Amino acid sequence: MERTGSQSFALYVGLAVVCGILLFPIYWLFVTALSTLAEIRQLPPSFWPAEPQWSTFTKVASERPILLWLWNSTLAAIGSVGLSMIVSVFAGYSLSRFSLRGGRSLGLFILTAKMLPATLLVIPLFGIFRSIGLIGSLWSLVLAHATLIIPFTTWMLKGYFDTIPRELEQAAMVDGCSPLGAMFRVVLPVATPGLAATALYAFVLSWADYAYARTFLTNAQGSWTANLGITTMKGEYVTDWNEISAAAVFIALPILVIYLFLERYLVGGLTAGAEK
Amino acid sequence: MSLRFLDLARPSRQHWLGYLLLLPAVALVALIIVYPLFVSLDLSFQKIGMATLNAPRRPFTLENYGKLFTSPDFWNACWVTIKLVVVVSAACFAVGLGTALLVNNRFKGRTLARLFVALPWAVPEVIAVVIFAWIFDSSFGLMNWLFIKVGITSQMINWFSEPTAAFWVVAITMIWKGYPFVSIMTLAGLQSIPEDFYNAAKVDGASALQRFRYITIPVLMPVLGVTLVLVILWVFRDFSIIKVLTDGGPLKATQTLSIMTYDQAFGFFNMGYASAIGIVTLVLCVVASLLMLGRKSQAMY
Repeated sequence: MERTGSQSFALYVGLAVVCGILLFPIYWLFVTALSTLAEIRQLPPSFWPAEPQWSTFTKVASERPILLWLWNSTLAAIGSVGLSMIVSVFAGYSLSRFSLRGGRSLGLFILTAKMLPATLLVIPLFGIFRSIGLIGSLWSLVLAHATLIIPFTTWMLKGYFDTIPRELEQAAMVDGCSPLGAMFRVVLPVATPGLAATALYAFVLSWADYAYARTFLTNAQGSWTANLGITTMKGEYVTDWNEISAAAVFIALPILVIYLFLERYLVGGLTAGAEK
Repeated sequence: MSLRFLDLARPSRQHWLGYLLLLPAVALVALIIVYPLFVSLDLSFQKIGMATLNAPRRPFTLENYGKLFTSPDFWNACWVTIKLVVVVSAACFAVGLGTALLVNNRFKGRTLARLFVALPWAVPEVIAVVIFAWIFDSSFGLMNWLFIKVGITSQMINWFSEPTAAFWVVAITMIWKGYPFVSIMTLAGLQSIPEDFYNAAKVDGASALQRFRYITIPVLMPVLGVTLVLVILWVFRDFSIIKVLTDGGPLKATQTLSIMTYDQAFGFFNMGYASAIGIVTLVLCVVASLLMLGRKSQAMY
């Protein structure tokens, strides 16, 4: 559609205003992290720190086990994403390529699992993990996050496999590949971007969890994840908002970076299926 | 030997392989989702405090459900949940649709604008809570300064000890966290509309408004339906935002069914009662999404 100069000017102004309001909270997080304690306690507030306090980041990182928390979050994510991807790759492939009796209803069940409230599932899982001694261990999160991730990954991967023509495997099998060999040597390499996108999305899901970490790990400080750790800073030092903000930047940054550079992969996962 | 012989989809051929590939997922899902679900269903019919697997079974009772439906707390939680669902999903749709339509225009820097308009999606919920807890801080928060400056109030509002104020802080945080999902889904839907549709309509003399009404809206409808259900389910089940921001308070003004379930289980250690609330929440979620999507529920997948 053609637009006149004044129309596109209005568009840019509208865009600037909308983004300015909607993204202000993120800007404010960074500004607060870079301000001095005096600056964040002054009225009217200062919207730009006179001298950016980068030292707050090093201070928080050295005085708080932030790096340990981030490491724990990473371990839980690697474990749960790894576990979920292994079972989902096989299941997604099977759902895509075989028309099995009961396969469809199984697929539907897996999707219904997306509706499960975590606050319901956390109760029996707590009982089970307590009985087998997993409470306080990151392994509890690996399993609990898998309940969040598998319903997504299985269906996303099925969707990706559906886009790969069957002729590829057939050709490989004519050349003497076994069905499993065809899957590993032909289909999976072709599906690599899809696998990466799915794993990335699963990583974000695991990184965002708070409910399971709080329930299983509260009494095990050495296993705290980033989201659990930062909530213990809130309320304890009610007024040190610059330090909490700096910690929050540490935790939010990995996902923000992933989003900014790999957005189209993430969005692919988000909208998978819904457009059909 | 024909190629058909090698078609994996052919019935009777290599079915065992299909089942074998499904097996790990089925076993894992059975272990960590299905079995726990049965455990919680079982718990909901027992008067039980702390749940462990080796604890002796308590006698079957409907007491938890009886207590639930006569408890004013439960009805309060239902009411809070419904209010929050309505407010948050309506606002998420208003902001999400608005931003999506705005950046769907063709202009220089559109890709970047699309990226930034949905940026809050990438902020973890707990971090969003940190940001908004600070903005609504009662002593040095930005919102109090703004409210006084604009003249809405003359004194500091203590956002987290005032029931109505706390509800709105929760709602605003959830709207900010939830609207990008609507933008992203709407943009994906808009992208699936071929430019030809609009050109053909223009040739036929349709105005911009007519094009929007008769092309954009109908094509977008199925996507928006699914999106609405997903947003509602998200608000319905959310735990981290409310728990960290207000802990369900003050005076249970922000206590949704999810928060009530959790508090009964891990605050008061009434695991049986908590399971009953959780089961009712799950049933409500399933019924609500089936009602809204109806036969279209397949489209969700």
